[in-house]
Amino acid sequence: MSTDVRDILELEKAAPEITKESILGPQDAKKKKFSHVLTPRSSRRPEGMAREVFALLYNDNKDAPPLLPTDTGQGYKQTKAKLGMRKVRPWEWTPFTNPARTDGAVFHHWRRVADEGKEYPFAKFNKKVPIPTYTDAEYAQHLQSDWWTKAETDHLFSLCRQFDLRFIVIQDRYDEKKFQKRSVEDLKERYYSICSILHKVRKLPGAEPKAFDADHEKRRKEQLARLYNRTPEQVEEEMTLMTEYRKIEARKRERDKKTQDLQKLITAADNQSDGTKSEKKTVARKKFTQVRPKIDTSVIETAGIKFPDCKSSGVSVRSQRMKLPASVGQKKMKAIEQMLQELGIEENPMPTEEICQHFNELRSDMVLLYELKMVLQTCEYELQSLRHQYESMSGDSKEPKPAASTQ
Amino acid sequence: MSNSAGMLYGGDEIGALVFDVGSQSLRVGYAQEDTPKAEIAAVVGVGTDANQVAEPMDVDKKPDTQNINTSTENTKYYVDTTVLHAARKGVEVQSYMKDGMIENWDLFEKVLDYTYSKCIQSDSEYHPVLMSESPWNTRTKREKLTELMFEKYNVPAFFLVKNAVLAAFANGRATALVVDSGATHTSAIPVHDGYVLSHSIVKSPLGGDYISMQCKQLLQGMDIEIIPSYLIGGKEQVKEKEKPKWTRKRNLPEVTTSWHDYMVKKVLQDYQQSVLQISEVPYDEKQVSSLPAYHYEFPNGYHQDFGSERFRIPEVLFDPSMALMGNTMLGAGHIVTTSVGMCDVDIRPALYSSVVITGGNSFIQGFPERLNRDLSVRIPASMRLKLISANGSSERRFGAWIGGSILASIGTFQQMWISSQEYEEAGKSQIDRKCP
Repeated sequence: MSTDVRDILELEKAAPEITKESILGPQDAKKKKFSHVLTPRSSRRPEGMAREVFALLYNDNKDAPPLLPTDTGQGYKQTKAKLGMRKVRPWEWTPFTNPARTDGAVFHHWRRVADEGKEYPFAKFNKKVPIPTYTDAEYAQHLQSDWWTKAETDHLFSLCRQFDLRFIVIQDRYDEKKFQKRSVEDLKERYYSICSILHKVRKLPGAEPKAFDADHEKRRKEQLARLYNRTPEQVEEEMTLMTEYRKIEARKRERDKKTQDLQKLITAADNQSDGTKSEKKTVARKKFTQVRPKIDTSVIETAGIKFPDCKSSGVSVRSQRMKLPASVGQKKMKAIEQMLQELGIEENPMPTEEICQHFNELRSDMVLLYELKMVLQTCEYELQSLRHQYESMSGDSKEPKPAASTQ
Repeated sequence: MSNSAGMLYGGDEIGALVFDVGSQSLRVGYAQEDTPKAEIAAVVGVGTDANQVAEPMDVDKKPDTQNINTSTENTKYYVDTTVLHAARKGVEVQSYMKDGMIENWDLFEKVLDYTYSKCIQSDSEYHPVLMSESPWNTRTKREKLTELMFEKYNVPAFFLVKNAVLAAFANGRATALVVDSGATHTSAIPVHDGYVLSHSIVKSPLGGDYISMQCKQLLQGMDIEIIPSYLIGGKEQVKEKEKPKWTRKRNLPEVTTSWHDYMVKKVLQDYQQSVLQISEVPYDEKQVSSLPAYHYEFPNGYHQDFGSERFRIPEVLFDPSMALMGNTMLGAGHIVTTSVGMCDVDIRPALYSSVVITGGNSFIQGFPERLNRDLSVRIPASMRLKLISANGSSERRFGAWIGGSILASIGTFQQMWISSQEYEEAGKSQIDRKCP
């Protein structure tokens, strides 16, 4: 640390630290020399080298060993250049042959002397797509086609080999003077059908090569082309149609949601009264409810307040059961408070078993009542607004009213 | 480390040379370097004057060519800027290129001789050669070139690649649509997986040379005389738009018209490079006139501001109806969309997502921006469009050469060369199979 500061300030080095070795130095010169060869020299900056550059160099014994065992290794420090840590490995301009070549041509390149005799490293990248071959007999027996001559099929297969099944390039380089013009799909169909026929005939192991559906491909490409060839006007028209459609969808969803909410509340009210009223009325009720469209009963539960079951393990205070759940909103809470005050009931009654139950039921009904009131309000408002709309649309406002009143 | 020895970055250098043969110039250098060693103009001065001897830089006829008749023995060839730009009596300037292909093989050989002796300074038999060619090169020319390289120059290995492919490689793409705006033409060449789709190439003859011609017409129309610098002995400073005061150089030899025209063209090209600009939106006289004018001084001292005309001339590249010679040609944006439209539907998105701009003419200020705008208007909105144009001037100028330099120094490429052994066995006709 202090040496660092000195370095930065470019001060002269302090007097060499007095160690045992510095005193005994000359005596074990031999040993020192030996250690010099084995381990790298202790970090001593060569003359004229910038401190920052020197700090980049790798140095084994610069850092103190960590106190705790780590599994990160050296981390980023590994990237330090290990200059002068190894012997120089000479390079040589040597001739080489590439096993990927068939002609055994000799080229020259730079190579480490140590790597002599090794195979050309890039030869292993020489991958070829396996393209099946067929004999004349096989062709005559299985591969005849009304559309393709043998010469043309041969031409196709040689191109497949040359361009590694890049059918778009094959189609481009196809000999159109000698043979007819073929589309990419035609070429692919012929090639893959031959592959699968050969596979079947020779009873080769492994899965059958995938069939190629030329018609489907053609149709797909036609569609794509049509998609690309749309004029800007068409694109714009489609866009506006899409946005309009989305608007309609959104409106419809909103309406559905509203009716569902209403339905939910009504059913909830029915159920509530079912529970409290005597059983004799249930028959009539049933008839009544059957008239209404059925609604998922699970939805009904949400109306009113759903108090959680205090069935958690351990001991709990009973007043806990009267606590309003967090799902009850601020507005509803205010409304409950107000109604309780009107009825002259205290907000936190003595939580006996019975009181608890009744108090909770009461508050649940209160919320339901509140919600129904709200819905009624909105419905009335809507009715009002619709009436206004109707009036403004039909021009004269007084016509529909008397008709309604007479009925 | 020992496992990957010699495979660092997948490169392997075998001392190959890369030649990029263009209509404007020939670029040559060692593979694995980032810029060519030399750029030699694609024209050669041919003089029949036997009196001027001992030119240090010219390349004489090799004595071993006995089949050439004696009358041409005194013919001198002046290659490269230094010797070509000196005024000499009776030296005709000839180009060995025509329509992007090598036309005059004798002259081309002279240039190659010069390249090996002066630029490379090494013998041809030690270096494999990778050469570029135009995508529409004919089979006979390819075979002839192969024959020339193996028979005359004894190269150990040879390979031919289309320059559009190399330009795509230089930008790190194997699939791209290469827009090459060169001296003689502007073309759109689709490249798929490193192969040119030859049936979908679209080209128009509107290139740098056409623009030069337009500049000449414009300047003549404005009554500005174009005096190439070789004629000028001295000049005085004059005020803007004033008649230039300059003196003619004395003791000038009788130069030929072709050489004079060549020197005039050099001036025009400089004018073209520094003054012209392409407006980002379709040309509009009013809008363009509000943009700042550019001040240019000619070699003879005449100088003035150039305003809207500097936008009008290159507009032809994008809107050929601006040209007087009929509007049957296609603008750059149209060339691209037509070319892509001829390709398979499946690869169109890939092509549009890498449109590579290359060629010297694309250096006119605003070229990539305008092409970008024209294309984004034309192609479907759902298609992703990306224009790739190297920013650095040498990267774009030597695009194809750099691609060749990269290709020839890739380890896995070393199996692709046509070696001299293969040439001896199968002859020149294999070039079509080996270098598709």
